[in-house]
Amino acid sequence: MPQPDGAAIAGLGMTELGKVYGTDARGLAARAVRLAADDAGLPLGDLDGLLVSGGMSGGVEIDLAAALGLTDLRMLSKVQSFGATAGAMVSYAAMAVLSGTATAVACVFADAPLREGRSAGSVYRRADRGGAVPEWHGLNGYTAAMGGRYGVNTLYALAARRHMETYGTTSEQFGAIAVAQRAWAARNPVAQMRDPITLADHQASRMIAEPLHLLDCCLVSNGGIAVIVTSAERARDLARPPVHVRGWAQGHPGTRLRRDSAFGLVTGAATSGPAAMKMAGITVDDVDVAELYDCYTYTVLVSLEDYGFCGKGEGGAFVADGALGPGGRLAVNTGGGQLSGYYMWGFTPLSEAVVQARGDGGDRQAPRNDVVLVSGNGGILDHHSTLVLSPEATP
Amino acid sequence: MTDVPVIRRDDASAAFFDGAARDELMIRRCGSCGRAHAPATASCPDCGGDRLDWVPAAGTATLVTWAVPYEKATASPAVVFGLVELAEGPWMHTRVDADPAALRAGAPLAVRFHHPDDGESFPTFVPA
Repeated sequence: MPQPDGAAIAGLGMTELGKVYGTDARGLAARAVRLAADDAGLPLGDLDGLLVSGGMSGGVEIDLAAALGLTDLRMLSKVQSFGATAGAMVSYAAMAVLSGTATAVACVFADAPLREGRSAGSVYRRADRGGAVPEWHGLNGYTAAMGGRYGVNTLYALAARRHMETYGTTSEQFGAIAVAQRAWAARNPVAQMRDPITLADHQASRMIAEPLHLLDCCLVSNGGIAVIVTSAERARDLARPPVHVRGWAQGHPGTRLRRDSAFGLVTGAATSGPAAMKMAGITVDDVDVAELYDCYTYTVLVSLEDYGFCGKGEGGAFVADGALGPGGRLAVNTGGGQLSGYYMWGFTPLSEAVVQARGDGGDRQAPRNDVVLVSGNGGILDHHSTLVLSPEATP
Repeated sequence: MTDVPVIRRDDASAAFFDGAARDELMIRRCGSCGRAHAPATASCPDCGGDRLDWVPAAGTATLVTWAVPYEKATASPAVVFGLVELAEGPWMHTRVDADPAALRAGAPLAVRFHHPDDGESFPTFVPA
């Protein structure tokens, strides 16, 4: 069953995002899928594929199909590539549609790690667990005892510091990304953090793990987001304008930590970016909007380099002076991203990309939206995915 | 800076901690191709060899990068967590006992061993 016009995203469903209590991740995932099907104007029973993924709280499994009452599915799986999952899921859904494996596939992520009355940071902080004198076991225990117990912030701080040492990148340049994304978030009604910030606010925000300040780090959110992928032909008959899935790729560099390693300097985007853009028949100069995975400000900066928006090592200069904010040179993370919008892993850049490609951005709509790039990053820069989305079926 | 938690050995790490107890930094060397690897390596990523011997490293390194996590309760630096390149080539996550303001990538380092009353001996690095 050839699909000459390719695959498209026909529906987007987003639950309330942020400090949303009272529903577990499974319930949020079910709600997101129903919202996405409603958005598409597709009866829920028309879904014949379901791809699920969950975050820190767990609880999103393939039994979601039963919770939704879906029957006779032709594709059902849990996908896990950490922050690269969303892009991977959409590519698998597109391939399923193109091959005839399935005709309408829902891809969903949900997470509910926040608990009422507990800090967002406590979700992650391993050092807070255990007794007064924690004990650590084996070689992993040695690494934890030496400082690894402070968790993922510390590991990304190693990467950010290496970029700074190698290329002269500064904390203020990271801060420019935080300020730009907050300016976008101020225009996004569903963003969690909407009060404008300045570079001085960034510099004054408390230190999490040098060189990363609080305002370099993403939020933690409860919520669920789903998209419906189907053929472009079918999508044209549904409720919303199709968002064409024009290119996709993954990059898993398998970085080894030893002499000559590129850790902190180059990510999988250096391979997934060119591959996805080649499939879409575009170059980086054609990209109007870039929705880049932003677990940290630094991640945006290194991704911009790897996609070729600027040269390697030039990310700091590229992002300075509000280049990424409203009215800037390049529209990046137009919903505020995970720094200021909401933390739904790769579904944060994916959902905002769909909004922008549809032209639904309201006050934050980018001036041009012919080509929207979606970037996912997982692990400590270990896993990468790229999507090229467009309101147009062909270049 | 905060206290070091107690470190306990397991079967896979016994040679590493035995080495630390006698002031030797133990790393892995592939029995097939001879390349050096970090202590936690399970099989040789270069030749696929699954016999990785424990051998003493020179104990010298250069600083690749470092991070300084903060204790939220006290808003103070907890530790200098470093990623160092051993003279033999492998990188290792470890603690760097130095003023972080004075650190630079490429700085020469040397191993130091600690022998706490409770738990295993362990290596850290200091500016050389």
